[in-house]
Amino acid sequence: MATQDNNDDRIALLQGTLDLLILKTLLLGPCHGQGVARIIQRQSQEAFLVDHGSLYVALQRLEDKNWIRAKWGVSENNRKARFYSLTAKGRDQLTEKTGEWRRLTRAMDLILNPGGLEGEEA
Amino acid sequence: MFKRKRSAEDFQAEIEAHLELEAEDLKGEGFSADEAQGKARRAFGNVRAAQERFYLKGRLVWLDKLWRDVRFGLRSLRESPGFTITAILTLALGIGANTAVFSVMNAVLLRSLPVSDPSSLVYLRTSNPPRGTGTIDSAQTFSYPVYDALRRQHAALSPLIAYVPLSANKVAVRYGSVPEEAEGDMVSGAFFSGLGVNLPLGRGFGEEEETHHASVAVISDNYWTRRFARERDVLGKTLYVNAVPMTIIGVAAPGFEGVEPGGATDFWIPLQDRRELNAWGNPPDDGKLYASDPSWWCLRLIGRLAPGVNRTQALAQLQPEFQAAAYIGLGGSPLQGEKPPILGFADAKNFPGYDEQYGSPLRMLMAMVGLVLLIALANVVMLLLARNAARQREFSVRQALGAGRGELFRQLLTESLILVSAGGALAWVFAEAATRLLARWAQIESSLAPDRTVLLFTLGVLALAGLLFGLTPLRVALAGKAELAIRTSAATSNADAGKSRMGRMTVALQMTLCVVLLVGAGLLIRTLRNLENTPLGMRVDGLVVFGVNPDIPSLQAGRAFYVNLLAKMRALPGVESVTMSEARLGSWESNNSDMMVDRRLPEVANGSSRTVRNNVAGPDFFHTLGVPVLAGRDFADSDNANSPLVGIVNEEFVRRFLPNVNPLGHTFGPDNGQVTISIVGVVKDHKYRSIDEEPIPMAWYMYAQIPVVGAMNVEMRVHGDPLAILPAARNLVQQLDPNLPLIQPTTQRAQFDTTIAHQILFARLAGVFGFLAVVLVGTGLYGTLAYRVSKRTAEIGLRMALGAQRMQVVWMILKDSLALTIVGVGMGVPLATLLGRALTSSLYGIQPLDGVTYLFAITAVAAVALVASVIPASRAASVDPMRTLRAE
Repeated sequence: MATQDNNDDRIALLQGTLDLLILKTLLLGPCHGQGVARIIQRQSQEAFLVDHGSLYVALQRLEDKNWIRAKWGVSENNRKARFYSLTAKGRDQLTEKTGEWRRLTRAMDLILNPGGLEGEEA
Repeated sequence: MFKRKRSAEDFQAEIEAHLELEAEDLKGEGFSADEAQGKARRAFGNVRAAQERFYLKGRLVWLDKLWRDVRFGLRSLRESPGFTITAILTLALGIGANTAVFSVMNAVLLRSLPVSDPSSLVYLRTSNPPRGTGTIDSAQTFSYPVYDALRRQHAALSPLIAYVPLSANKVAVRYGSVPEEAEGDMVSGAFFSGLGVNLPLGRGFGEEEETHHASVAVISDNYWTRRFARERDVLGKTLYVNAVPMTIIGVAAPGFEGVEPGGATDFWIPLQDRRELNAWGNPPDDGKLYASDPSWWCLRLIGRLAPGVNRTQALAQLQPEFQAAAYIGLGGSPLQGEKPPILGFADAKNFPGYDEQYGSPLRMLMAMVGLVLLIALANVVMLLLARNAARQREFSVRQALGAGRGELFRQLLTESLILVSAGGALAWVFAEAATRLLARWAQIESSLAPDRTVLLFTLGVLALAGLLFGLTPLRVALAGKAELAIRTSAATSNADAGKSRMGRMTVALQMTLCVVLLVGAGLLIRTLRNLENTPLGMRVDGLVVFGVNPDIPSLQAGRAFYVNLLAKMRALPGVESVTMSEARLGSWESNNSDMMVDRRLPEVANGSSRTVRNNVAGPDFFHTLGVPVLAGRDFADSDNANSPLVGIVNEEFVRRFLPNVNPLGHTFGPDNGQVTISIVGVVKDHKYRSIDEEPIPMAWYMYAQIPVVGAMNVEMRVHGDPLAILPAARNLVQQLDPNLPLIQPTTQRAQFDTTIAHQILFARLAGVFGFLAVVLVGTGLYGTLAYRVSKRTAEIGLRMALGAQRMQVVWMILKDSLALTIVGVGMGVPLATLLGRALTSSLYGIQPLDGVTYLFAITAVAAVALVASVIPASRAASVDPMRTLRAE
């Protein structure tokens, strides 16, 4: 996804990974878009840059696919916000995508560190 | 998928909420309110882009774009209604004509018999019938003993099916109280089951019903619709066939109307064994019906190859059985020197005979409409080219404003597709009507609904058109450059020599095709003229003819019936004279056989035929028909069973068999030598079977003197409208027998016209297509020239400013189209000779290289070219030089 600037060491999200991150975040409980962005950024130790525009489009896409559902509510500081939560289908998808992602990273590791120690590279 | 769940406003609200939450958080991290808001907004990035992405994602983008293109296309087409209407009509005519002709071709030549597995069905044929037999068709009909012997060979054909009409044309039927006529066949019990014809209503009949000659009938779907309004309680109703009651037990599947071409069978009954229902409606010969008369080969046979048996094996197995069975009742073996008949099979996959009858005219028509389609497509392509070229400036501006080439192309493609769809829809409507017209010609209307094959064909043509028109704008889309918009002088933006050369070539080609079509149409129309003006050798106007098929219990009763009938008919007011004949004139019907002349077979020059066509006639026959009696006399009432046998022959008979003698007093008779008839009259040659026949020796017997009396055709010469006599005649016939309808009543003129019905329609259609081609070429030429002239306005203005005269300008334009015409005609004439040669068999009284026709075609094309050029030329000449120059 888009980056704003390339002069920091933050990583642009790979295509498709944003969906996974959103689902994972929502596993913790219902959350609004801004919260999702904050959580992703914080949890990745600010390594990921979430393009807010893309985030909302992604949220909409997931909603259309019935993986998440949304309703308007009030935030902890009393502001109107649209809260997203996981559906059963979304949970299944999360499990599946997580598995896929694990396999992918493992495979990448095997190639990047031939014969090396799995996943030990910093 | 298609509904949008969420409004853009809601999405907007969510973004607003996000920005506020983010700003709140940032404030918590120590930023000032302003800083926090700015940072939140920056972190979000492009709000509008996100909204756009949301919008695009929410719907099917391509559908959206397509809808936009279609609306734009419709708008831009509406802006030039002349172009749009011309293009759509051109397409509709071109494609419609092709669809119509193709659907007839499909129905007549390509469609197989509506039975199950038609490829394993075979018609039985014989090389010749044994001597001493009478046949309906010397190659296609068999005797009952042959049928009976071959049907037992289950290993070869299983089953073998016999079928035979109850009458040569139509048979008298009655349902309720009114007598009418219908086409009916007597068939084997295995007919429906063996052919695999479904009976959606009721049941068929089987071997049992054949054996017992059951009084049951199955009717066709068409007859059920026509006569019984598709009432389901038709089952169990009684249909009187020649006054014999038959119980209707079933309705055949739609589309099944027998296995012979041409006619459409209305009902089928099991093979019968009674006088009223003899094969072909013939009276019993010597007291014998079809089934007990081995010398009458009258049954048609069709069989299904037994499983696992091929034709050769089946034939090998049947041949000896057939050759033995052929002589049952005929002395058991061939006469000295006689070639025994050989059995053969004919393909029953398609209707036999259709191909001979309609094949070549239909293929010719298909070729002609193909040419029309080519002209039409070329026209629309040229129109599109011209229109798009004229819009060059619009495209350039749009490209300069940021429209991509792809967009432009898609846009133009959409316009073409709109044209093709509209043209296609209109074409279908047009084709429906045209198909009905053609169906009347082929007399197969019931089964001529456009089917899937036809639809596919039309869609194929449309796809071709769509592709062609799709490629046309490609050029424009590629050629248009944004900077063209800047140097937009008319003089500089049009100098595309290649395009105009292509346009000229297309016009020349169209003229070529037009010449070909016009020559074809001209030849056929002149053929029709010749046919219509062919002297028939009789006065047909004022003659009306109808058939009667009375129940005749004995020879005496039959003769008495007709004597009575003729007397009563003569007494009707307005009737000048009345006569009758067995075979109807102008119906292709005829009896032919070798004849004895003066008690021996006549000597004939090598190669010429001994065949004499004969008919049975009533008193006053030639007088009523208006055929001049050259010598001797006409038949009279006084020629009866008790007077000497008399006959009349025609000129050709005398020329061939009795040259250089006075024929009166000589005799002729059938080749078995049993009867000798004195010639008492010689009549002038006249048309007998059809309009386009050549004279052939003919002989007439007097009905009251021969030992067979059956159905007859009554000819009446009346004052005034011939058909007006029919109600009175019908009344009279019903007084004699309430079961008797008038069979196929018509005027003798109309009867003869049926023999050239094919040629009439063929010529008319060809004429219509020729005319269509001329109109299309005219509009195409006019469009192209008008466009070219409009492009050269500046040049013409300049020329005139430099002193060119009006006439010089007109000549400049005319010269152009004259050159095209010469090229078109030059290529068209040799091609037309090819067409003419292909048409030879369809021509009558005219050579394929008929000068008048060629001259007409060339003149017509030249005239169209001239008219189409004069208008743009004179417009060019009226250009005001100052105005055009100033416009630059």
